[in-house]
Amino acid sequence: MAPIAVVFVVLYVIPMSQSLYYSFTDFNGYVSNPKFVGFDNYTELFKDPSMLSALGYTIFYAVATTILVTVAAIPLALTLNRKFFGRNLVRSAFFFPAVPSVAILGLVWGFILNPLGSGVLNSIIHSLTGLGPIPWLSNSTLAQLSTVAVTIWAQTGWHAVLYLAYLQAIPADYYEVSKIDGAGSWQSFRYITLPLLVPAMAVSQLLLMTNGLKVYDLPFTLTRGGPGFSTRTLTQSLIEDGIAQSRVGAASALAVLFLLVVGLVVLGQMAITNALQRKYS
Amino acid sequence: MTKYRNLLTSVLMIMLAGLMSVPFYYIVVNTFKTQEETTKNPLALPTHWVFDNYIKVFEGTPVVQSLMNTVYVTAVSIFLMLAIGSLAAFGQITGRSRISQIIGAVLVAAFIIPGQATLVPLYRMLVGVHLVDSLNGLIVIYACGSIFCYYLILGYMRTIPAEVLEAARIDGAGPFRIYWMIVLPLIRPILVTVGVFQTMWVWNDFITPNVFISSEDKQTLVLQVYAAVGQFTTDWPSFMTLTVIVLTPMVLFFVFMQRHIVSGLISGSVKG
Repeated sequence: MAPIAVVFVVLYVIPMSQSLYYSFTDFNGYVSNPKFVGFDNYTELFKDPSMLSALGYTIFYAVATTILVTVAAIPLALTLNRKFFGRNLVRSAFFFPAVPSVAILGLVWGFILNPLGSGVLNSIIHSLTGLGPIPWLSNSTLAQLSTVAVTIWAQTGWHAVLYLAYLQAIPADYYEVSKIDGAGSWQSFRYITLPLLVPAMAVSQLLLMTNGLKVYDLPFTLTRGGPGFSTRTLTQSLIEDGIAQSRVGAASALAVLFLLVVGLVVLGQMAITNALQRKYS
Repeated sequence: MTKYRNLLTSVLMIMLAGLMSVPFYYIVVNTFKTQEETTKNPLALPTHWVFDNYIKVFEGTPVVQSLMNTVYVTAVSIFLMLAIGSLAAFGQITGRSRISQIIGAVLVAAFIIPGQATLVPLYRMLVGVHLVDSLNGLIVIYACGSIFCYYLILGYMRTIPAEVLEAARIDGAGPFRIYWMIVLPLIRPILVTVGVFQTMWVWNDFITPNVFISSEDKQTLVLQVYAAVGQFTTDWPSFMTLTVIVLTPMVLFFVFMQRHIVSGLISGSVKG
């Protein structure tokens, strides 16, 4: 037990307590006697426009990807659960974007969505329809939507495979029985498949939501957080403030808020799941 | 009727999968073209295949060095995680002391604390012990993955019948001998699953090297691709070539480990 206790204390307990402590001080990384400033760092956070826009974008990203990936992954999983020619190949193709590093995928999509006329997608659109360059990554709204779209592309297959694992655990005779009892395909989906998918949805959405709030790689490699601050994430702010600019106090306050928000989401999601499971079982 | 429906599903799904894969086709096909051809016909097959891009990338970038760095960091990190995680799980199963019970319960907190919340103090801590911009510093950070390993291994270890360990103890085997000779071979399947899952995390990780590594000779593969964007802003084929070279090991890993990746995904997501 000793080594893991060391890992836990050194990599979690000590840094977490430091974050908590620094968040109440004006520590900037150099002064040896940081002054206690109470909740100043926290109130500052909510006055900083770049911070607020990072908060807004991160929440938008987390909610949008959670909803859209779920909406796409469940039908995909249901289809992949049926028998058809080439099924294994299709499954692998959908799952594959989850294999390489998300950061590299972001960089590649950066080339594809390059807003200049010479960008890959733009030149394809131009040759097909004659339209001029579309500012995929240089218009704030389009850049935000692009980060969500690339995430859906990258993650839907992964989550569909997760749902698929749960679907395959549903015994086939459940469907036999319901067919004999005269249930239509919608009814057997609604009363057999959906309730049994609730645990899968809980897991998948918890992952999507927490990963969405913690996101850094994909918006950063695709857009560097721009244009302006439009796709800057909380994690990016935290890294830039806390490490590059040594605003340790402010970054620590953000870190503590981060812990609280992620913790609340985890607990909230667990409560909702328990309620749903009671309702359906 | 069902036959036609299956055929329709098949055609639709293969088309959709093909559409999804266009970005991968795009990066691979352009590594064999000249710059001029890439701009003119981004999606067409090359009129004549050129391999100059590969020669240029291998000669002009430290890709081999980065590969060695990544292999080193990944191998040592995974070994450490599995060793720490499995020893702790073994201690939890056999020890049953008050302290180990308490530690086991407290470790759950590690799942709720996001890496972001500890990042800045960890950075300062590593600065203090001169492990910033060092591959060993990355390994220290990745050691936090051992808690995830601990939970998955613990769950699996509980399925070993207590009689097996009891019999070994009666036969006079010490705790370490029991761990090494009996427990480790029995938990091999979960070690492979967790190992594969964590390998993908460490190998693909961007945020940690991006924060902790600054010199070129210590870059990991992912970080090198990121750094190369500036170098190759106008030379797209070279950038795509570097990407393909960097992605190849992971693709091979996927091909051979697909089954374990999926089972890791399922057991990992249930716990995590």
